[in-house]
Amino acid sequence: MEILLENLNLVIFLLLFIIGYTFGSLAEKRHYRSIIQREAELLKLAVVTAEGSFPAGQVKESALVSGSAVISIDYFKRILATLRNIFGGRVKSYESLVDRARREAILRMKEQAHKQGAKMVINMRLETATIGRNANQKKQIGSIEAIAYGTAIVMNK
Amino acid sequence: MKFTPKQLQKNVNVSTTHPLVELLWMVGGLTFIIGLVFILLGITTDWAIAKTPVRIETWIGKLALKEFTTNNNPPLQQRLQELLEHLPADSPLHQYQFQVYLAASEEVNAIALPGGNIVVFSGLLQEVESENELAMVLAHELGHFAHRDHLRGLGRGLGITVATAMLFGESSSTSGLVSSALLSFNNRYSQRQEAAADRFGLDLLTKRYGHAGGATDFFARHNADAGAKTAYILASHPHPQARITALEQQITAKQYKNETTEALRDDVKLEDKE
Amino acid sequence: MIMTNVNTVPGKKIVEHFGIVQGSTVRAKHVGRDFMAGLKNLVGGELKGYTELLQDSRQEAMKRMEDQARQMGANAVVNIRFATSSVAQGAAELFAYGTAVRVE
Repeated sequence: MEILLENLNLVIFLLLFIIGYTFGSLAEKRHYRSIIQREAELLKLAVVTAEGSFPAGQVKESALVSGSAVISIDYFKRILATLRNIFGGRVKSYESLVDRARREAILRMKEQAHKQGAKMVINMRLETATIGRNANQKKQIGSIEAIAYGTAIVMNK
Repeated sequence: MKFTPKQLQKNVNVSTTHPLVELLWMVGGLTFIIGLVFILLGITTDWAIAKTPVRIETWIGKLALKEFTTNNNPPLQQRLQELLEHLPADSPLHQYQFQVYLAASEEVNAIALPGGNIVVFSGLLQEVESENELAMVLAHELGHFAHRDHLRGLGRGLGITVATAMLFGESSSTSGLVSSALLSFNNRYSQRQEAAADRFGLDLLTKRYGHAGGATDFFARHNADAGAKTAYILASHPHPQARITALEQQITAKQYKNETTEALRDDVKLEDKE
Repeated sequence: MIMTNVNTVPGKKIVEHFGIVQGSTVRAKHVGRDFMAGLKNLVGGELKGYTELLQDSRQEAMKRMEDQARQMGANAVVNIRFATSSVAQGAAELFAYGTAVRVE
């Protein structure tokens, strides 16, 4: 017991590290499962980055749709990225975060379009924001933020 | 234009390496780098210390002494002189002009500062019970001077800070991580220095009094409230029990006699002692 | 008001252009959100507070842009683009701009 108290800093660090790893990877797995499932559901809704042109009378309605997601890093990934800063190379721990944020934002945009009865979203664009900037610096909120937007097209028929 | 929906099966944007594997590789690499830096630092510091003349050391010592509110203490100075008289004639310690200072602090400790300055904290003086114990403390600090540990510690500490700041930036989380790892390495190293200073102290004490009585008394009293041994793995000083064992081994090996100690004379006793 | 981010309003014909309209907003999160985000930073997952903040500021930027377009007498904004910048730490600037037009 005393040794725990003597090295309180180290104990806290290890605890956070383990908590970060377990909960972080759990959250990631759950998130990916939900992303894949919803992507399959909305597969029929076409999203393209092209503008496209439509013959007169085919389009009933068009509207801007958008979706955003902010994904947080976890303690484990932060440490991993910090270590990565020493060696350089691919920051693998952040790759999945960026991927999740983008796909989640696109999914939310698609869900909005689907609610409006749209068949497709054209001219989709992605944008990143920086609220909790500098994911790698100490005592700062690390997050990856993505905004997706496009024009939802509701067809006549 | 025809739109055919496709569901992706493989995610190319995410690496498949398991994060724990990545962690293991990087921690291993980091340990290697730190070890390398530490060894290089050790070599350079040792080289620099051998080249540093006592004159420069005295100047550094004056700077370091400013950190403490101290008074020159004649009774302690007298004890030190008595010890110095028993040094062998070829001892490198004769180059120094030793000064003992008493600093008001609760801390039970004494420090060897560059330039032959020894600072004894009043907290330690209150704990000391016999002349022999006090001589052991002073002789231990002299041991640090004999091995030039006072400079080495300073040099390594400085080197570690500068090296990590240069490699990883001044105040990034990376440099914090690396420097704390290096400093705990350093603590481990300093345990060896303490043990060496203990051995030097014991020899000098025996020369002074003709016997080794009182050498372990101080640590023995501290042993009870020192806590678990494992907590000392990363501490700067060895566990009191370990120090006692090492000292006793040396006493047996060199066949030092163990006689009764001399009571502490009144002149070093602190007035506020209850 | 019809909003699109393509050159035209699909299915409708543009009869008049009015020029650029823009709306922007700088929004900061409050301490409570920051605290929660700090906790979330340990375990990972979505930062709902920040997502909401992002959504709110996007809506506000769009509303401001819409107000500008309405002042011009437009009934649609085409070619809308979003841009973000970090003006201050912990604050999000969201900026929306587009071309105000009138459609049939």
